[in-house]
Amino acid sequence: MRPLLFEHYRTAKQSLVRARMRTALTMTGVAIGVASITTILALSNGITNIINDQVKELGSSVAVIRPVSKQSSLQDLANPTPQNAYTTSPLTERDVESIYELKDTQAVAPLMTLSGSVRKEGASPERSSILATTPDFADIAKLKMSDGQFIDTVTLEDTAVIGTQLAVDLFGTEDAIGKTFLIRGQSFTVIGIMKRQNDPINYNNIDLDSAAIISFESGKLFNSGVAQIQQINVKAKPGVAMADFKQKITNLLRANHDHERDVAVYTGSSIAKPTSRLFSVISTVMSLIAGISLLVGGIGIMNIMLVSISERTREIGLRKAVGASNRTIILQFMIEALIISVIGGFAGFIGGYVIAFGISMFLTYDPAFSWAIVGWASALSVGVGVLFGLYPAIRASSKDPIESLRRYH
Amino acid sequence: MTHHTASSPVISLTNLRKRFGVGEAEQYALDGVDLTVEKGEFIAIMGPSGCGKTTLLNIIGLLDQPTDGEYLLDGKSVEDLSNSKRARIRAKQIGFIFQNFNLIERLNVLENVALPLAYSSMPHLKRLVAASDMLKNFHLGEREYYMPWQLSGGQTQRVAIARALVNDPSIILADEPTGNLDSRSSHVIMEELSEVHKKGNTIIMVTHNPNLTTYASRVITMLDGKIDTDTKDLTIEKPKVAEKKPLGKTSKKAAPKAKKKRAKKAKKS
Repeated sequence: MRPLLFEHYRTAKQSLVRARMRTALTMTGVAIGVASITTILALSNGITNIINDQVKELGSSVAVIRPVSKQSSLQDLANPTPQNAYTTSPLTERDVESIYELKDTQAVAPLMTLSGSVRKEGASPERSSILATTPDFADIAKLKMSDGQFIDTVTLEDTAVIGTQLAVDLFGTEDAIGKTFLIRGQSFTVIGIMKRQNDPINYNNIDLDSAAIISFESGKLFNSGVAQIQQINVKAKPGVAMADFKQKITNLLRANHDHERDVAVYTGSSIAKPTSRLFSVISTVMSLIAGISLLVGGIGIMNIMLVSISERTREIGLRKAVGASNRTIILQFMIEALIISVIGGFAGFIGGYVIAFGISMFLTYDPAFSWAIVGWASALSVGVGVLFGLYPAIRASSKDPIESLRRYH
Repeated sequence: MTHHTASSPVISLTNLRKRFGVGEAEQYALDGVDLTVEKGEFIAIMGPSGCGKTTLLNIIGLLDQPTDGEYLLDGKSVEDLSNSKRARIRAKQIGFIFQNFNLIERLNVLENVALPLAYSSMPHLKRLVAASDMLKNFHLGEREYYMPWQLSGGQTQRVAIARALVNDPSIILADEPTGNLDSRSSHVIMEELSEVHKKGNTIIMVTHNPNLTTYASRVITMLDGKIDTDTKDLTIEKPKVAEKKPLGKTSKKAAPKAKKKRAKKAKKS
């Protein structure tokens, strides 16, 4: 059996080299398919890695409380923001206070997103958002200031901390400390500029780069003195078991909310769930689309194998006459198809990473290498070879040797 | 080889029938053929086109299956053999020679001759050595690395004969081996075949050319799917053609060597 395999390999190599242009084009077809899948997997793995890192970091200490949204999963995708600014949130200031009183709690920050515009002498950046929160937010969200300070218990009510992008949009410079701007017509003074955020998971659902953060009290004033909390971020003391902590908060909130299950506590990876699910669905959909190009590559293999087989009808007849069984003929042509698809797949894999690194120059993260991608690329190229080589091979093997030998070129 | 037993004939066909078409179009290419071929015979099958001689050859070569009748090859029935077993027999016991040579164009002479050995699990290098030895018997030693299109028709057919012999078959089946050759090359080829025959090989040849039957030890004519005449048990008058001086060089040196080799092989198995 083994000498026969070598023989098949030799035969396949000879016939592929003879039709080298055709072989190269067919391999390119497979390579393009495998390359696009590799690119997508490499990039999406890159982002997944970053998400996982961040989740690990969050998971050890941060819990997030959000109102339960009754959206279907498909709508979740289209709108991964469960805290809808237009619905009334069941979260109250009382909840914040009672969580704060828990002995395991280190910091609590209620998040109140306000509607309204941020303006400065006609400049009104569209993407800006207004967030009212407590000084603890800086600790929980690990905010870093590029200039000035975050709001604290002694800062005045008409002061605000703004993101770098908002500073540029409003004042044309990042150097905006002490300057004033308008939130819903009220004048605020900038006391701090936040550094640019670079995290793929934005569990606060606010683009902090273009946000203006004001104190929770000022936020309430804009809302007729009523707190309208969309989310509460809680940080546990070091060494606290998050599962217990989550349970404690849940029990507490159940008691506060007359045992209505209208809020949910998220810890660990579930905080990032909307984000990571969005990414995984996007990468799956893109891989499927890339799969179509692989399918086209496979059809190319089948096409070229069928041509090759009809060109070599007499050879097949002769091989059968001198002792090749049907299985041997199938194997011979399968190996030929496999050589095309495996070499094509390998080139595609390398090419895919080159493309992925090329694309990542425009992104904030690097593509990731993983053996799973190697596995997928090899499985797909072998699979394509087998799938699209089988039919031509079977057709070759079922040729009648007498008919085949009678044929002239 | 073990299958060369003295008592049983190499081929034994009993009431062999082969039907083509169904219903109205039904016709028998072979209509009750009885034939026994002993080891060492050189049979020429003659007959008009469509008399079934090629069909008979294909059935003997296990490329085709009869509709009816019994076929014993080396004493064993081949009726119920699987596809792969039939292929194995073709690989080990049967050598084919075709009218249009059927060399593979992209393989060189040596590789073409070595081809049948690939299907009897012989390592590549050993195959090439065996093929090279065989080619030397046919005075084609210097042409080993030629491509088929670089050879003349006669040389091509000699390569094809070498290929048919390389696996040391029990029978050699030749379908109009000289059909595509001029008369000079035809005689060269026939001389080669009769050399092969003299070394003890069994040959069955289909031909249209009555001149070539003189090389055969037995001539069968077929008509309408039946054996019409058979020279077996008749004394054949040697026609003049056989007296002709052989045109091809007949190797006196190679012959004993090959015989010795074959004897050695037989001992081994």
